[in-house]
Parts: sequence; C-alpha cells; structure tokens
Amino acid sequence: MAFTRKKRKEVQPKLSWKKELRMLPGHLLIWIWIGFAMICIAWIVAASLSTSGEIFRGETLKFATGFHFENYVKAWKLQKVSVYFMNSMIYATISSALLIVICAPAAYVLSRFTFLGNKTIKGSLVLAMSVPSIMIIIPILNITTALKVNGTRGLLIFLYVAVSIPYTVTFLLDFFSSLSRTYEEAAAIDGCSPIKTFWKIMFPLAQPGIITVTIFNFLGIWNEYFMSLVFASVDSKRSVGVGLFTIVAAMKQNGDYGALFAAVIIVFLPTFLLYILLSQKIIAGVTGGGIKG
Amino acid sequence: MKKDKKMMVLFLGPAVLLFAAVFAYPIIRTILMSFFAVERPSMKLAEWSFNGLENYKTVLDSAFFRISMMNILKIWLIGGIITLSIALLFAVILTSGIRFSKFYKAAIYVPNVISAVAVATMWIFYVYNQRYGLLNTFFKKLGLEELGKTKWLGADLIFWAMLAAFCFCAVGYYMLIFISGIEKIPADLYEAATIDGAGKFKQFRFVTLPLLRGVFKTNITFWSINTVGFFVWTKMFSPITSENGTITPMVLMYETIFGSKRVQTTDAGAGAAIGCILTLSVMVIFVIFSKLIKDNDLEY
Repeated sequence: MAFTRKKRKEVQPKLSWKKELRMLPGHLLIWIWIGFAMICIAWIVAASLSTSGEIFRGETLKFATGFHFENYVKAWKLQKVSVYFMNSMIYATISSALLIVICAPAAYVLSRFTFLGNKTIKGSLVLAMSVPSIMIIIPILNITTALKVNGTRGLLIFLYVAVSIPYTVTFLLDFFSSLSRTYEEAAAIDGCSPIKTFWKIMFPLAQPGIITVTIFNFLGIWNEYFMSLVFASVDSKRSVGVGLFTIVAAMKQNGDYGALFAAVIIVFLPTFLLYILLSQKIIAGVTGGGIKG
Repeated sequence: MKKDKKMMVLFLGPAVLLFAAVFAYPIIRTILMSFFAVERPSMKLAEWSFNGLENYKTVLDSAFFRISMMNILKIWLIGGIITLSIALLFAVILTSGIRFSKFYKAAIYVPNVISAVAVATMWIFYVYNQRYGLLNTFFKKLGLEELGKTKWLGADLIFWAMLAAFCFCAVGYYMLIFISGIEKIPADLYEAATIDGAGKFKQFRFVTLPLLRGVFKTNITFWSINTVGFFVWTKMFSPITSENGTITPMVLMYETIFGSKRVQTTDAGAGAAIGCILTLSVMVIFVIFSKLIKDNDLEY
C-alpha cells in the first residue's frame, strides 16, 4: 500500500456556520464534562474562603460574612500544610534532579552501544513498570528497618529516585536513539573523549526530552502517596498526599471544613499552575515526547 | 563508534545498581516470601519457615480476598469499558476539526496532574455530599426530590460513586493516547473512503477502529497497570473501616502486612502471596491481549 503519510492539518478551517452547527453536539458534550470540573474547582475555591457554617447551609457562594482568608493561615500553620508542602517540594525537586544525572547517561549508553545484556536491561525496565509497587515494599522495609532510616528525608528521596528509574530511562532511551550519530563522530575526530562528548554535546541536545521527563517526574513525586505512607513514618516527613489524607481524617472529628478546602487548594495549586504554564509540553510528552510519529 | 568500557560502567552502573536494589532483589524476595510462613515484614530470612502453598490457600480461602478480587475485576472491566469508550469518543470529537480542540484537550487532561487525594477530597466533600453537595443540589433544583436525597456514599452506592470519580479523572490520559493514534492515520484513507461513499460512522467503523488496534492494546495495558495499583481511592472513600464495598487487593495486601481493624493478625507471607497473585493476573492479561489483538498488520 503506497499511501503517503500525511498528517492531518491542525489549522483551524474558516468559520462556516453549517459546519459549526454540525459540531454543536460535540461542543456540548465536552462542555458538560469540562463545565462540571470547573464548577467543582470554583466551588472548592469559594468554600476555602467560607466558614464551616456557611458551607453546611449551602451558602458558599454568598460570602455573607466576607472572605475568610484565615482559613489558609489555619491550614498552612495549624494543619501543618506548610510542613507537607516543604517536604513534597524537597522530595520532588531533589529527586527529579538526581534522576536526570543518573538516568540520562544510562539511557545514552543503552541507546548507543550494543553489548551483552543490553536487551535484558531494557526489557527488565519495561517489566518493572508493570509490577504493583506493593511487591517491592516488604523487602525494602526490612532493610530500612534494620538500618533505622525509616522516616528520614534521605530515604524518601532515595526511594523516589530508584522507583522512577524504569520510567525515566525508558523515556530518554527513545530520545537519544532519535539523535544523529554524526555529532559523536565529529567529536571523536576532533579528539573529544566519549564521556566529554556526552556531557558537552549529547546531553544539551537531549534537553527537550530531559525537560519533559523532569516535569513528569516532578508531578509524579509531588502527587505520590504510597511510598510516603509506608516510609515517612513521622508526621513531619510526610508529603502532601499523605498529609492531606491525615487532615481529611482528622476533619471528620474537628469539622473545620473551610480550612480543609483551603488545604486542598494549596495542594492543588503548584501542579495546576505548572500545568497551565507547560500544558502543551506535558500533552506532547504523554504520547512519547512528541518525537515519534 | 569505539566502545569505551570505563564509560559504559560509569554511565550505566548507578542506574542498574539502584534498579537491582529496589526492583530485582525485592521482587525475588517477595516471591520467595509467599512460600514461607512470615508473620511480620521485619522478620529476617533465618526466621522464615517454609510452608509450601499454605499462604496461597489461606488467601484464596479468605472471603475478603474474594470480595477484593471481585471489586478489582469490576473496576478493571466496567470502569475500563466506560473510561476507554468516553476517551475514544472525545478523541474522535477532538480530531474532527472542532474549534478550541487544544483548549478542550488540555482541560480534559487536568485531573491527571493533580494529587489523587485532593481530587478525591473534592468528590467526597463536594460532589457526593448529602447536604450541600453538587449532585443532590442539582437534582433538587430540577424538582427530583427523591433523587436529591440519595446517599451517594451509602453502602450500596459507594463502590459506584468511587468508580465514577476514578473514571472521570482517568479519561484524559487515555484520550490523549487515542488522539495521537488517530492523528497518525493518513488523511488519504478518509478521502478514499469519502469518495467511495462512506459516511462519518462508516469511516469510523471501517477505517478508524481497525487502524487503532495497536493503540487499543497500549491503552488496555496502561489501564491494567493503573487499576492493579488501585489504593488511594479506596483509602479516601472509606478511610477508617475500608468497608468491604470498596476494598481492593492492594488495600487488603497492605492491611495483611501491616494490620488493620479488619485484619487483626499480620501475615507478611499471605500479603506476599496476594501480591504474587495480583502480578500474575496482570501478566496473564498482557499475554491474552497480545494474543487477542495483533498489532496492525496493515501498512500505511
């Protein structure tokens, strides 16, 4: 079959009312979906500025007693959201930076050189991504208990890095394979050592892929729940996910709903803002870094 | 290019070592553990005693395990059909040259970047709330008083409430994968189909669907991996008691290892057995689907 590969145009066609009318059901359907999400977010924002009484009487959008910004102060200080927030920030930034330093060279070697075990390593990485995380935690817990490192930030960072290796290496593999070999050949002729070639030439060239994978790692670690639940045994080391869970559980007794919703907004904002800034990059990254196809 | 042994070891070493420490060794040890009597996760290898398939028997005999497996099956099958159908529908709409498709795409994907705990809190404390919640207020406004009093989080509806929330948040991801698949189908094929007199539905049925086989396989694989780890949503919807209605194998395994109200005596060996059964189920699903759905043999 000799069809030419032609990508369908993404350019918006000229406005034609007949066509728009035909699209109306599509618009409607999507707006019901998005509208629902928007109402929910708007309500949570409104509720985070209301008192518990107002929320319960269903008067969230009236703001009869004004805007209660103190909910945010309560959430931040009393509910310790500040602590969880800082923890998640530390875990997400340090881990995703370390991941690049560890995974980019590994992905490069795997994509460039054929050697015994290359395929095995690649296959194992893919396989590891499909194993439920609970399969690995008992033995790890066994070691960390013996070493008495449970509930330390170092351990959490170590685990986040290690657990994200399969995804990061696999993602970057595709990226390095797509780079031309002529760069390295030219560098070799000029007498540049392979290690130097990688850091000076190939690593900067792979930047788009590195940025995308870092965004995903950051989002993933920021939102991570399970590892933090098992290994951050003390409250002061918990990430936002487990922290918010603790707040929700406590809220059922103390009933400060305004502060609860303020906490939800604080947890929600960083990744949401990051997404608004980088949505095109993230969307392209979901389907393979926008390189293939 | 010349191979540089030193460089390869230097570059590959850290990643491989970490991988071995956190994946290879723990997985092997967990599999081993499932054949031994181990009460606490902190017990040393020397304290384990071999008991063959006893752990598997305990697990398979447990009513909780059967309920949890039934639940995960429902989540995987019913949730999967719902999520993938909506995702495909949206993907088709968004690739049909609709206006604002970029914005729509981005907006539908939003729940995927937000902490599941935060999103679940929104569903539980707003959408499903009985007094001031979105659904009940909406139904009351429509004059549907009976429906407006529904206890969405009551024992008979909680599972479905949880599943609906989970699917809503998952759709965006699978939609993006469908979209990238549809965009790869050459426009010529549609032109040819139009000339042959095929309408939009026929084009979808005879051009789009068959050519998306590979993408379907990808999506089913990801969906399976995603649902096996079903944990946070159960924890959120039934935090303290984990009613049987929402329990999943992953939650049961966690409780079996660390203890809970439901599971009073911890049994790490049985927990490991649950993990092995779960992992095995995923592998079986992978094999079945890769046999069932052949990759696109059509070249285009």
